[in-house]
Amino acid sequence: MISLDQVSKVYRTKTIETTALNNINLEVPKGEFLSIMGPSGCGKSTLLNIIGLLDEPSHGQVTIAGQQVQKYASKTTSRFRNEKLGFIFQSFHLIPDLRVIDNVELPLLYRNVSSKERRRLSEEALESVGLKNRMSHFPNQLSGGQKQRVAIARAIVGKPQIILADEPTGNLDSVMGNDVMDILLDLNKKGETTIVMVTHDENMARKTNRLVRLYDGSQIK
Amino acid sequence: MIGHILKLIWNKKGNNSLLIIEIFLSFLVLFAVLSYVIYNTDRLNLPTGFDTENRWLIYLDRNDKDMDSLANAQMRINLKNELLAMSNIESVGFSFSVSPYSNGTWSSSYDDLGFEIGSRFCKVDIDFEKTMNINVVKGRWFDETDINPTYEPMIVNEFFLNKYFPDVNMLDSIIPFGGDKKIIGVVDDYRYNGVFEEEQSTTFFFQPYTNKDAQIVYLKLSPGTPKSFEEDVSKTVESITKSTSFVIQDLQAMESRNSRQTWIPMIALLSISGFLCINVALGLFGVLWYNINNRRSEIGLRRALGASRPGIAAQFTGEVLVLTLLAIVIGVFFAIQVPLLKLIDIPQIIFYKSMAFSALIILVIVTICALYPSGQASRIQPAFALHED
Ligand SMILES: Nc1ncnc2c1ncn2[C@@H]1O[C@H](COP(=O)(O)OP(=O)(O)OP(=O)(O)O)[C@@H](O)[C@H]1O
Ligand SMILES: [Mg+2]
Repeated sequence: MISLDQVSKVYRTKTIETTALNNINLEVPKGEFLSIMGPSGCGKSTLLNIIGLLDEPSHGQVTIAGQQVQKYASKTTSRFRNEKLGFIFQSFHLIPDLRVIDNVELPLLYRNVSSKERRRLSEEALESVGLKNRMSHFPNQLSGGQKQRVAIARAIVGKPQIILADEPTGNLDSVMGNDVMDILLDLNKKGETTIVMVTHDENMARKTNRLVRLYDGSQIK
Repeated sequence: MIGHILKLIWNKKGNNSLLIIEIFLSFLVLFAVLSYVIYNTDRLNLPTGFDTENRWLIYLDRNDKDMDSLANAQMRINLKNELLAMSNIESVGFSFSVSPYSNGTWSSSYDDLGFEIGSRFCKVDIDFEKTMNINVVKGRWFDETDINPTYEPMIVNEFFLNKYFPDVNMLDSIIPFGGDKKIIGVVDDYRYNGVFEEEQSTTFFFQPYTNKDAQIVYLKLSPGTPKSFEEDVSKTVESITKSTSFVIQDLQAMESRNSRQTWIPMIALLSISGFLCINVALGLFGVLWYNINNRRSEIGLRRALGASRPGIAAQFTGEVLVLTLLAIVIGVFFAIQVPLLKLIDIPQIIFYKSMAFSALIILVIVTICALYPSGQASRIQPAFALHED
C-alpha cells in the first residue's frame, strides 16, 4: 500500500542544512497499523508528510496505492490526497470558524458530492466517533478529546484507504487518548484501513501491528 | 463552494462587518462623486449651438448720453458699417443684455388656461445668426420681413418644442407667450452658459440692432486675427460712440474661465475620491494579508485535505468578492433611493450609471487587492504551515 524507496529529506536554509530523513526504505502492506516512534526532531513528522504527499523527498521514490508520485504541486496529487488519504494531527487543526459538521465535511468539499450527500456522510462519520450530538458546536466549545474525534471523523468521512496520524493522542490525557486509540484500532480492524501513526507513547505503540523506530533521520533496524 | 464561503463569512461576521462597512461607505462616496461628475460631463459632447473661436464681444456703454433714438440708431448703423469695413471683421451681430457666460438670464413663463410655457429668452438681430454660427434646423432665422410683422416672430430650440409640443409640427404656429407669437424657426440649441449647462427651453426674439437696448456687439473675425487688432477695434468704437466705457472680450477666453469653475471642483472631488480608493485598497490589502497569515494552518489543512493551489487562491479571492458584493448590495439599496424617490431633480439615469460605475470600480480595486495575497496563500507549503503551531 505504501512503499518508500531510499527516501531522504534535506532541509536547506541559508546557513544550515538539516538531514531530516536519511535513506529510508519502508513497506506498509494494506491493512497494517504501523506506529513510528523516536525522539523529538528525529524526522517522524517529516516522514509522515512525505507519505502524505505534503512534502517532496530530496531523494528517493514514494509509491502510494500502486501509484508513483511525480508532481507534488499538481491537481492530480491534490485529488489523490483527497481520495486516498486521511490526516489526523496532534493539534487537531480544526477550522475555528466552522461548526463541527462543516469541519467534518471539508474533504468532500473538494470532490463532486452534493451538499445533501455531504451532510449525510458527515453525520455518519460523526456518529461513528460518538459525536453526532455536537454537530452544531464550534471547535472551541469542545474538549480536547472531542476535538480529536472530530478530526478523526473528518479523516474518515471520505473513506480513504490510508490514515496518517501525527501524535493523535499527544495532546490528550490517557483516558481520552485511549478513546481515540480505540477508534483508530476499530477502523483498522473493521474498515481494513491502513494506518501510519506517529506516537511518543509506548503503550499506544504496543497496540499496533508493527513499530518502526527512527533516530536522527535513520531507521533503527 | 459558494455555500461554504457564505458559512465562513457568516461565522466571522464580527470581523467581516468592519470590512463591509468600509466598502459600503466607499461605495456611497464614489456614488455621490460620480453622480456629480457624470451629471456635469454628460453634456460635454452635446452642441452648445454657437461658436466661440475668433469671436469677440463688445459691451457698449449703457449711458446713452441724451441721444434721441434717431441719433442712437444712426450711431449704431455707423458703428456696424465701420466695423464691417475693417479688414479682419467678417460679420457683426447684436443682442440685448444677455450674452454667453455672463451668467445672466432673462426668462418668463406664461399661463394660458392652465397650459404653462416657460422659457428663457434672448433678443438678437438678423446678423446674430451668421456671426455666432447658430444652427437653424427648421424654418428660418429673422430677416427684414420681421421688422413690422403681424405676429411677433420667435425662434425656439428643439428642447422647447420637445417639452411643450412633442410630436407636433409647430412651425408657423401662433402660440400665446406674452401675447400671440409666431414660431418661425427652430435651432438645435443655444446653451450660452457653456458645455456644462443643462439643456433648457430657450427662445430668440427679434430686436433690430438700431434699438438702443442692443448693447452687446458680436464680432466674427477672420481666423488668425492677432490680439493687437483689439486696439484698432477699440479706436473705431471710441470714435463712433464718443465713449471710452466699453469692454472688449474674447469669447474663447470667457468660455475657458467659465468652464474652469466647474472643472476645478470636479477634479478636486475626483482626486479626493481617488485618494479614498487608494486608502481603501491599502487597508483591504492589509486586512487580507493579515487574514491569510492568521489562517496559514487552515490553508495547510485544506491543502492536505485535497484543495489544489488554484483552489486555495479561488477560495480567498471568492471570500473577498462575496463580502464586496454584499457591501455593494447594501450600498445600492441606499443609493437607489435617490432615483426612486426622485430626491434630486436631474435625469435619473445618471444615478443608475453612477451606481454601475461605482460598483465596477470597487470590484476592480478589490480584485486587484485580493489577487496577490490569495496567490501568496496558494503558495504556502502545506507541510510547513501544518507544522507551525
Ligand atoms: N521546514 C523545515 N525547515 C528546516 N528544518 C526543518 C523543517 N521541518 C523540519 N525540520 C527539521 O527536520 C528535523 C525533523 O523534524 P520533524 O518535525 O520531522 O521531527 P519530529 O520527529 O516530528 O519531532 P517532534 O517529535 O518534536 O514532532 C528537525 O531537526 C527539524 O528541525
Ligand atoms: Mg513531529
